[in-house]
Amino acid sequence: MTLRVLSPATGVVVPLSAVPDPVFAKAMVGPGVAVEPISAAGDVVAPIDGVVVTLHPHAFVVAGANGHAVLVHLGIDTVKMKGESFLPHVVKGESVRSGQPVIGWDPAAVSAAGYSPICPVVALDARGDALTGFAPGGPVTAGDQLFLWNP
Amino acid sequence: MADERAAKILAAIGGADNVVELEPCITRLRCELEDDSLVDEAALRALGVHGVVRMGGAVQIVVGPEADVIASDIEDLL
Repeated sequence: MTLRVLSPATGVVVPLSAVPDPVFAKAMVGPGVAVEPISAAGDVVAPIDGVVVTLHPHAFVVAGANGHAVLVHLGIDTVKMKGESFLPHVVKGESVRSGQPVIGWDPAAVSAAGYSPICPVVALDARGDALTGFAPGGPVTAGDQLFLWNP
Repeated sequence: MADERAAKILAAIGGADNVVELEPCITRLRCELEDDSLVDEAALRALGVHGVVRMGGAVQIVVGPEADVIASDIEDLL
């Protein structure tokens, strides 16, 4: 079954290679795209239906029914912010629907703290050719399709 | 066994004595080490590690989404 992966945030779609972190830019944990978020505070939403299998204040993984797991990382090196400016709305193990708010945050506060607020959205351990239907680079609204993950 | 993998990863970064601080972040272990040169990248790759990134005085070991579990297993060994 093809998985439709939605944008977790409103902003601008950019290639993963533009992310200022080699682990994401070189797709070491999987292919995907990134969203440079608008600076307004708001909620990051689940990219797919599934279970929140990993949850940090600044990042989460949702695993879908077919085992495919999507990672959303809120900013780069934001683990160092120790959760400040991040407010999880769910707990680890909770089921979520795509589009459901997962973490509230303030991208402007992330920028002010000296970190990039860019959000990599990664199809964990997917083959590079498994993703199609990429959203064109440019403005995107939370809940819009980012890409399709084919079996 | 996960504990065994943790022990092997710990050995490949120079053992418990070499670890100053170890912190998981979703897909990677951020390791602050006494001596970065003790990191055996070939051994880590043989353990299925996706990559090893050195930056900002830390060595980041990209282990995949089970980083939290591996980190807590390693912490049990420190």
